[in-house]
Amino acid sequence: MWNEVRGLRDGIDYGTPPRDGEPVTLTVDGVEVTVPEGSSVMLATAEADRAVPKLCATDMLEAFGSCRICLVEIEGQRGYPASCTTLVAPGMVVRTQSDRLAELRKGVMELYLSDFPESEIPDGWSEFHRTLEEVGINGHRYGKGRNHFDLPVDDSNPYFLFDPAKCIVCSRCVRACAEVQGTFALTIQGRAFESKVAASQDEPFMESECVSCGACVQACPSHALVEKSLFPGGYERAKPT
Amino acid sequence: MPNPRKPERETITICAYCGVGCGFKAETIGNEIVRMTPWKEGKANHGHSCVKGRFAYDYWCHPDRIKTPMIRDSIEEPWREVDWDEAFAHAARELKRIQGKYGRSSVGGVSSSRCTNEEIFLTQKFVRAVLGNNNIDNCARICHSPTQFGLSATVGAGAASQHFDSILQADVIMVVGANPTEGHPVFGSMMKRRIRQGAKLIVIDPRRTETVDSPHCRADVHLALRPGTNVAILNSIAHVIVRENRHDPEFIKSRCEWQEFEHWAELVGSEEYSPDKIGPVAGVDPEDIRRAARIYSTGPRSTIYYGLGVTEHSQGSTGVMCLGNLGLACGMYGREGVGVNPLRGQGNVQGGSCLGSWPHVFSGYRFVTDDATRKSFEAEWGVELDSEPGLRLPNMFDAALTGHFKGMYIMGEDPVQSDPNQNHIIAALRNMECVIVHDLFLNETSKFAHVFLPGSSSLEKDGTFTSAERRIGRVRQVVEPLAGYQDWEVTMKLMNAMGYDVEYAHAGEVLDELARLSPAYSGASFELIDRVGSVQWPVNSDAPEGTEVLHTQEFPRANGLGTFMLTGFVPTRERVSDQYPLLLTTGRILTQYNVGTQTRRTANSQWHPEDVLEMSLGDMQTRGLRDGDSVTITSRFGSTRLKVVESVRVNPGVVYTTFHHAETKANAVTSDLSDWATNCPEYKVTAVEVTKVTSSKQCQAKTSVTRPAQRERQVEEIAVVEEVST
Repeated sequence: MWNEVRGLRDGIDYGTPPRDGEPVTLTVDGVEVTVPEGSSVMLATAEADRAVPKLCATDMLEAFGSCRICLVEIEGQRGYPASCTTLVAPGMVVRTQSDRLAELRKGVMELYLSDFPESEIPDGWSEFHRTLEEVGINGHRYGKGRNHFDLPVDDSNPYFLFDPAKCIVCSRCVRACAEVQGTFALTIQGRAFESKVAASQDEPFMESECVSCGACVQACPSHALVEKSLFPGGYERAKPT
Repeated sequence: MPNPRKPERETITICAYCGVGCGFKAETIGNEIVRMTPWKEGKANHGHSCVKGRFAYDYWCHPDRIKTPMIRDSIEEPWREVDWDEAFAHAARELKRIQGKYGRSSVGGVSSSRCTNEEIFLTQKFVRAVLGNNNIDNCARICHSPTQFGLSATVGAGAASQHFDSILQADVIMVVGANPTEGHPVFGSMMKRRIRQGAKLIVIDPRRTETVDSPHCRADVHLALRPGTNVAILNSIAHVIVRENRHDPEFIKSRCEWQEFEHWAELVGSEEYSPDKIGPVAGVDPEDIRRAARIYSTGPRSTIYYGLGVTEHSQGSTGVMCLGNLGLACGMYGREGVGVNPLRGQGNVQGGSCLGSWPHVFSGYRFVTDDATRKSFEAEWGVELDSEPGLRLPNMFDAALTGHFKGMYIMGEDPVQSDPNQNHIIAALRNMECVIVHDLFLNETSKFAHVFLPGSSSLEKDGTFTSAERRIGRVRQVVEPLAGYQDWEVTMKLMNAMGYDVEYAHAGEVLDELARLSPAYSGASFELIDRVGSVQWPVNSDAPEGTEVLHTQEFPRANGLGTFMLTGFVPTRERVSDQYPLLLTTGRILTQYNVGTQTRRTANSQWHPEDVLEMSLGDMQTRGLRDGDSVTITSRFGSTRLKVVESVRVNPGVVYTTFHHAETKANAVTSDLSDWATNCPEYKVTAVEVTKVTSSKQCQAKTSVTRPAQRERQVEEIAVVEEVST
């Protein structure tokens, strides 16, 4: 509980909240690392300087396990567990890189990208863009398919806007509103392809229960929620390609 | 431009708004601030923010900012823009001329809790070492003065006993007369987090605030007391604790004055304060008083956070003592997760008080009359200092009216707007020959000034702030000062122009000097803060990286023991009557800050374009009012006009409004009673009547003749040390 707030570091994202606990030693890619009990494997990989790519995880929020980018291999365990929701254990042997992991991550990232405006890929500097780079993807693989490019931008708030075209529905905004701010103004509405971020009863942000604390903007990995001040000439939406 | 522009540079600094003191990264491109993002290593906010700190920063480059010094020979003349040298020379010439003609004590100064520690320290140095008297005050005498008085009396230190995230170890949280989710939102989020983890919540507040009931956060007990009955309720809680043997005799015997405890227990244990007696007086269910007492005393770790709803009463100091007494009686002091903590309003409210901007004490509350203390300052400053305490701010104005006080340096304050007696202040200023205003914007006071020195916002300068948790953090220059100088440089150059030779290469050297002369700050330096992020005072050789929890071994009183103050309930003289049947109480809203000089110059006004009057449905119906009607609120002191809205947050008989907009003139209505000990005004209780505005003629807001319209109130301050020591 103490470390969850005091263990946070500027410029480092451990992926899951730092914990208080007895030391646990494990190996990540051959590097021995000791972290408090209750920590995630993801946090251990960051501590070992072998951080895995991720999208739905960030260390101010509890693990969620939805994006499937942070997969790792753990000796003695079947399959490819998500490192964010897997807790460390003494003597655990973790591998963060393999051909199979690279293939899996790439496959998932390509699916995310298929519903992300292609024109927004160059020059982007969001976490989503960094993850694309880490995973080694630089363009759309699939042809034009269904997307969310037609949903309207919500620019009702004077300070930030929400562009659903860039939203990857990772729920970080929803969780930040709940866990960090404690207002519970946001939710994911609908299912599957229809799922989208909604404020209160699907109202514009400005008319919702949102208190404009900025926690959702801070948490958003893809600049779907973004400060208006970063667009001096006003926000110009990506052209559908 | 589809992708956002990328900031080039980030500077870590502290938010300039409330007393929480959040760490921020100011991100810039060139000299433009493109966004503020919360700093994950900020020890008060841990990466979180609110709508004010994160977004409402554009006031810094608002077109209203004054960027060139201005002078004039009389206030009838228009301002004349001059360069800095001429402004300094003119100001110095005038101050010297005045002192030559009217004497050394005919001039003085005032500083503000919105300034940095370094600026506050330099301003008092300017007055003491350069002007040669002690006519220095801190405009913010009002509002948390009962905290200094009440907590000093019981536990020996008028400051928060804990650090903010100590709340993450609390089992019981008692919030009294405060609404953290609006007034101190980042702390409010931390509190809610702890409540979601299972901590119990007791709220004592006339209003059903968001703190009382919001998603996944509901008070276990809400004592929606009638405004003005804090002391009665707190004594009744103490009554239950004492009568049911729920106090902590071991703690009291080892850490407190036992005899004083017995006196107190006799008072609060008397039948007069039984829940069955007090319940009807305060308008609450006696059973709820018992439940609150049982929950608080059970703990095992119970903490109290309180705000101006405790202090701004005729028994404000008594209310604070009640809280100190409760903490001591239940052993809720000296460890994590307990304590008694004021929630303060301004960014540097604690520093403003610590650093000697008072007519009678140097930094660290040490008396100017004390030879040893004065000698240490004389040795450092190289001049002889006046041993006579100087004039308080109101006395400076009084002296101006009698022709004995002729010149004043006003740094970051607006007494014409903020002082209780506007006409009096204006007459006093008109009687002065040189009024120097040092501020970001022209204000009410500058209308009567002869020299205007353009100030720098906290984004344009270096220094430190001390937040409500005693945390000293670094204000770092993000952009170049619009007017060319940081505020501390302006004060320094004014000193130089007066012939006092002093040179600081940077603000850190002022902090070094301040540290040498102030015991609680003795270990503070830019280097230390750069290394560890921020420190809580006392920071000294015993605690080289500061002190998080106070009173772990003993209380800073002569015998090291905490004591119990007798807190008899004396109802306020402000009562409802047939003519004024409602009680008006006031508060804050999330998006606006204080009187709004900063936030009203940002888009935050989109949320709160005007102050409104909250009223219960029943009270509205009996007056034939409908949602949105314009109403006149009349008290014994004055009247004003507002829009009324139906609210379930207030009980029948109680109405509520905020005070962020000057046009509201809420303070024209409020009572002119004040705390018995510190004169902190009783802003929280006023008997009023509300009537519908029927003709357009009545639409003009009327203000009382004797009461000024625009008072910056709830400006917080803690120290009125005379009362503490005498």
